[in-house]
Amino acid sequence: MPRIQLLDASTAPMTAESYFAGGDPGPIVAALANVPELLGPTLGFIGAALGPGATTTRHKEFAILRTSALLGCRYCIHAHTTVALDVGLADVEVRALRGEMALEEAFTEPSEVALIRWIDAMAGATGPLPDDVWTAARGFWADHLLVELSATIGATMFLNRFATGFELPTSAGVLERLEHEGFDTGMAADTAGAS
Amino acid sequence: MTDVAIESPIAQAIAEGTLPGRVWLYTNYHCNLACSYCLTESSPRSERRQLEPSTMLAVAEQAKELGFTALGVTGGEPFLLPWLPETVLEMASHLPVVVLTNATLFGGNRIEHGALLAHPNISVQISLDSDQPDVNDMARGPDNFAKVIEAVPRLIDRGVRVRIATTTGGSLDAPELDPLRDLVAGLGVAPDDHLVRPIVRRGRADEMALGVRAQARDIPSELTITADGAFWGSFGPTVRAGRLDLDLLLTRTVLPLSVPANALLGLLGGMPEGNDANLGIR
Ligand code: SF4
Repeated sequence: MPRIQLLDASTAPMTAESYFAGGDPGPIVAALANVPELLGPTLGFIGAALGPGATTTRHKEFAILRTSALLGCRYCIHAHTTVALDVGLADVEVRALRGEMALEEAFTEPSEVALIRWIDAMAGATGPLPDDVWTAARGFWADHLLVELSATIGATMFLNRFATGFELPTSAGVLERLEHEGFDTGMAADTAGAS
Repeated sequence: MTDVAIESPIAQAIAEGTLPGRVWLYTNYHCNLACSYCLTESSPRSERRQLEPSTMLAVAEQAKELGFTALGVTGGEPFLLPWLPETVLEMASHLPVVVLTNATLFGGNRIEHGALLAHPNISVQISLDSDQPDVNDMARGPDNFAKVIEAVPRLIDRGVRVRIATTTGGSLDAPELDPLRDLVAGLGVAPDDHLVRPIVRRGRADEMALGVRAQARDIPSELTITADGAFWGSFGPTVRAGRLDLDLLLTRTVLPLSVPANALLGLLGGMPEGNDANLGIR
């Protein structure tokens, strides 16, 4: 069960009405609507940070899925496992980003290995980045791409903590898809009943 | 009005009549009574949801700066808060204030607590629903009628401007209300200071299936500030089954007051004309 009230079209504030006009907007909007003035700026930032940009969708999904795995966010791992598959990541790549197998078994392209190590240092550690991680990433990736991906990582970390802290439920559709694709939904044990 | 207020879109909207000029403040949600039609499910056991005096003063000051023209203070029962009169007096240095009360806390020497509000910029609005004590008290609690009848002239004697608000489940101009109108006039209250309004089917009234159903556009869009955020109308921050209704929530941010005021103004821009005049909700 989510730890806070998830609003729907009948309970949502009038200033959030437009977010519910097209049907169920999902638990993140339903939770954020408790503070309706946050919806516009927060979703605007998330949309810009996670949506299309200069970075390819493949590499944005690296950042989102890897960050979510590092922060142990069931909701985002579930959701972005399906997104990553949809944008063309291979099954083994998704499993490696989820932390279920060694990165080297799935990624051989040096630029991508450098990028994932950089993501790990950005999202999974504190303090300055190790020089070798930075140098390797900077050798392949331009400043503006790393800036954009840092926003992707930051927005994902917010969503990770938001979804985990409030125990937002994974939708039944996503869980079904994951099971169909052979992904472990065991980590969803305590959310499965809440969808 | 300052130059800032003249230029403010809020002042313009108030001048044009698209935005009501009054800002309401819910001081608290608890009450010594538990009326059957209470919008906020108030009772002695209610969660207090109390505004700080400093917040109320900041709202009053900023309301004036933005171009609002009046303030209203309601609850719960505001006079349960010992600092209420002094705070309202200070608010009245910015804008005229009407304070709503059940007037049951003015017995004996406690009348002097209410008498502190004898001020040209302040009026005290007291609820009285029937000229029949038993009818009034059925909805509002034992001895309510007697306490109100005693308090009103004593407040007026002390220079307090008193208004009476009657909440009815019947027609607003029903002849059955004439004896009440006579009673109110006999207490020294001017006819224009006697409001008759319908029960609005929200809060406890909704649970009891009382009153008129009202949508946002039926409710006067007066900006309403509470400890839980800013709402569309003083009928907005209602409580049902212990849970605050959020359907008329504008913003959780209450200060600076421009944040909820602009959210309200934005909604009014896209709102079809309402019929609050027809329903008489005020
Ligand atoms: S209607 Fe007013 S007096 Fe009656 S319980 Fe509610 S707040 Fe108290």
